[in-house]
Amino acid sequence: HSGVVKRRSKSQSYRRSIRTCFGVASGLGLTPALTARRMNTSRKAPRSQNITEKVKPEHLELLVKTEWQLSYVTPLYQFRHTQLKSYSRQLSAFIAAEKQEGLAVEVGGLQNTFKVSFSVLQGLAETSDDPETVLIQVQSKPMFARQEDPPKTVWCGWLSCINGNPEYLQSLPKDFTCLPLFCSKGAEDLSSLVKSWLQRTFDCCFGPLDINQTTLQWLAALWTNCHMETNIQNLKMIWTLPVLPPLQVTYTVDSDDVLDLWRSTRESSAEKSREAEDEVCIDFSEVTRFMQGLMSHFYRHFRVDLSAGELNQVSSALGSAKVNGKIKISSSRYLISIFSLLTECALLKMPI
Amino acid sequence: MDNSAKHLLQRLVRRIPVSMLKSTLDKWERLTAEKRKSLDFTQSKWIITQELVALYITENPNQGMWHTFQLVSVKIKKHTDQAVWIRVAWGDGLSSPNHLKATYVVLYLQTPYVFVNALSSKHKPLLLQALTLSTRHQQIKAANLSGQKLTALRDLLMRQYQQVFPPKYPSPLAEKLRVEKVQAEASANRHRMARETFGDGMLPALQSAVFKLETKFKGPTNEAMTQRDEPFICSVKFSSSNLLESLRHCASSGIASTPVTPMLSSIPLKGRNYFVITDNVLTA
Repeated sequence: HSGVVKRRSKSQSYRRSIRTCFGVASGLGLTPALTARRMNTSRKAPRSQNITEKVKPEHLELLVKTEWQLSYVTPLYQFRHTQLKSYSRQLSAFIAAEKQEGLAVEVGGLQNTFKVSFSVLQGLAETSDDPETVLIQVQSKPMFARQEDPPKTVWCGWLSCINGNPEYLQSLPKDFTCLPLFCSKGAEDLSSLVKSWLQRTFDCCFGPLDINQTTLQWLAALWTNCHMETNIQNLKMIWTLPVLPPLQVTYTVDSDDVLDLWRSTRESSAEKSREAEDEVCIDFSEVTRFMQGLMSHFYRHFRVDLSAGELNQVSSALGSAKVNGKIKISSSRYLISIFSLLTECALLKMPI
Repeated sequence: MDNSAKHLLQRLVRRIPVSMLKSTLDKWERLTAEKRKSLDFTQSKWIITQELVALYITENPNQGMWHTFQLVSVKIKKHTDQAVWIRVAWGDGLSSPNHLKATYVVLYLQTPYVFVNALSSKHKPLLLQALTLSTRHQQIKAANLSGQKLTALRDLLMRQYQQVFPPKYPSPLAEKLRVEKVQAEASANRHRMARETFGDGMLPALQSAVFKLETKFKGPTNEAMTQRDEPFICSVKFSSSNLLESLRHCASSGIASTPVTPMLSSIPLKGRNYFVITDNVLTA
């Protein structure tokens, strides 16, 4: 199957949805290159994919059921997948040097030695344009530990590009490798050191990847759609309302009922297009109608307007996503779909 | 008071020689003179420790999780306005009563309400039966009001906070407002209704309210869902460091439409924060 995502013609709703997410996603000035890349207003419904054949079990175990902090990173200059051993040595040395400089590394204590390993996490790259995912692990061993004591992984991160926009990827100059999605877990100071080394070595730039309202709404709808194949147990959404003191609203809907609501908004959708393939396309207008349905049921009971607040978190048995850029995937079956969405969000942040 | 603090206190009391215990507590000045007088230093150190812990919890009732129960009876007895504190340490045939994991019960004699902290499900039927019998009531039931702050639960139920009642005759100020702009009037209305519903000034600090909804789907534009017979099962939890103040602000700012829906006004009016909502009735 192709990695190309369907584009809609420039209808009213398309332009509106672009403006909402685009304004939040990029604080940069508009350039012709930027306007060519917009968040897709239409995407394929995530299908359950068995990736256990493609990805090693120890890698899958690492990726799922863990909360990752998301960042975006600009294309890496002269990064080579063949030089990973060298990068491991260089980053280990960098961390040791920074520690000596007195840069406090909270983890462990002054006696710890850190060992970095770069490796390829095979199986996530979906298209021929996607570079292979790179995994970085930092292990720590107290200086006076016994030889047989296993070193502990204290920090873990990975750079990836899953179903990246082929036009953009192909437009990049030859020496650049685009792995825009950076996921990290572990002590914040180690994250800073790793990013710092990557920035100076590959002339790139990191920034926080917040999961905006549009993306959270997509996830609410996509996860609900998944209930047709996999039990999501329930759909939980957390809003905060801007009052004093701040009010948090946790709205949890039973999985069968929320799926009925989702199905009913799709059936009434006049814009629903029947694609040639059996892959069903979901338009953002359907997501909006779905959210409006949820909010109006809420309003009828409490007479409180949830749209006056901000959606902070969406979760289900398949995972959770928070507006501060934290994501957790609980099932490997939808890993590719969700991280494709996040890759798209990361690519929107690219300045060039 | 958490377990580690209790253990620390126990060890301290054990270490201090009996002859110096009274003078040490006097010097510490943490307890009032009358409380110190109430301690009997001829008792064993173990009992003295328990009494100190009990004194601490009485002074700091806003910890742990309190649940409210309501005694049910045809007669209500009126007594002087003082709370009765009861501490229950549980043991069974094999072990002596565990004083570190005691249950605390607070009775306000002028009301049918009882507050209970740290009660295990095993002991619950025993305690409830004992309370019902000893207070000469016929029945006891859960009152669906829980929170960390005993004082807030008490204030909410006794309505011991500043309430605002609509004036019988409009004041000159209200007359003046009617002449002003529509927005100012609407804003004033919202603020007034917010205060009438929730109260004025400092409100009791409830942390959360939970609504289990089992009603049919309500949405103006969705025909398929509104025609559905089955209920749309969902639950809503409101949380805040002070829920009533947040809700009041929602009403006054317009985020919650006024007049405030009975769903939300039931929290202060009925003194509850757990509700099951079905289509016809706001049930217990």
